[in-house]
Amino acid sequence: MKIIECRDISKMYFRQKALEQLTFSIEENKITGLIGRNGAGKTTLLKLISGFIKPTAGEIKVFSEQPFNNLFVSANSILVDDSMSFPAALNLGDIMDAAAAFYSNWHQPLAEGLLDYFSLEKYKYHNRLSKGQTSTFNMIIGLASRCPLTLFDEPTIGMDAAVRKDFYRALLKDYLAFPRTIVLSSHHLEEIEHLLEDVLLIKNGQCLLHLPIYDVKEMMISVEGKLAIADQVLQEKEIIYEQSIGTNHVHRVLLREEASVEELQGAERMGLKIRPVNASDACVYLTDKGKGVIDDVFNKN
Amino acid sequence: MYSQYQLADMYTINPATAAKGLNLLADEGILYKKRGLGMFVSSEAKEKILFKRKNQTLKRLVEEVVLEANRLQVSNEELLSMIKALQTKEGNQ
Repeated sequence: MKIIECRDISKMYFRQKALEQLTFSIEENKITGLIGRNGAGKTTLLKLISGFIKPTAGEIKVFSEQPFNNLFVSANSILVDDSMSFPAALNLGDIMDAAAAFYSNWHQPLAEGLLDYFSLEKYKYHNRLSKGQTSTFNMIIGLASRCPLTLFDEPTIGMDAAVRKDFYRALLKDYLAFPRTIVLSSHHLEEIEHLLEDVLLIKNGQCLLHLPIYDVKEMMISVEGKLAIADQVLQEKEIIYEQSIGTNHVHRVLLREEASVEELQGAERMGLKIRPVNASDACVYLTDKGKGVIDDVFNKN
Repeated sequence: MYSQYQLADMYTINPATAAKGLNLLADEGILYKKRGLGMFVSSEAKEKILFKRKNQTLKRLVEEVVLEANRLQVSNEELLSMIKALQTKEGNQ
């Protein structure tokens, strides 16, 4: 069953385009990573799915309903980000009680257990927490509400390395115990890729790819070695990324489908280093802004 | 064999990824499915894994060793004596 269906959705902020004719759908009980560079439209998309804002054009369906101004969608979904606003008069315990009353799947033992594990006290106030503690508390609300559709927008901002690791483990364990549809946006694909089933990559408000993580990991290969040999082996192949190392060495990236296994083995025998490209780097190459590499900025001067 | 959900919990990976791994092993005949009961290790699993490691992993390692020896202009005799020295050392342990 499809939980989220977007057809040709666009979103304009005044004259600025945030999303442009985005089309995709997300199946029930999958964990999808929403990946994109800064300003690609990740947050806008998540806000549209949660019904916080309306699309300028196109159609969006969540649980087969339009999410904007929709109580059914609100009761069955949650968007966790660093700007979650809770009434200043409520302490953390009160906020948890309110969430328990609103979300029918709320799991109090999990909320209490996580709160205790991360040393957050119930009598404290949300606006007095540090950045990392705020993210941690928001994440606890997001997990314990066990919403059929759980959206995390950069949930680990401000968390230290230990908390981030614990969060990812907690997310997976509670997903195994209580499967649900989860969308997780992050700049750090390498940190979350083990949790994901699918990757949705967006660039300039458009959907660049929507594939199982396994396919993204297998998508590209990197070739490194002497320029002359690389030129000879890779002639007539489309290069996705290129970086020179010194004057006569080069690092090039190409799609795996461009080269056969025999060609690659031959290249290795000629002294080129062939390596797989991890999913995170593959996404960086795909979302390249077309302004060359960072070295070009320095080479101009 | 552990289920995809047990493997997901053990290694903090998505259960779909764990299932993919199990299916790859099933395709190679190392695991087999029993309907409603889960995955089991086949009787020829050990033999198959040993064969694969010998003919793929070890072969590739040897190729690399020979390539590196050629690059460093190490003679065949010298390379073989290095391997033999290592074998006697390992054998003594």
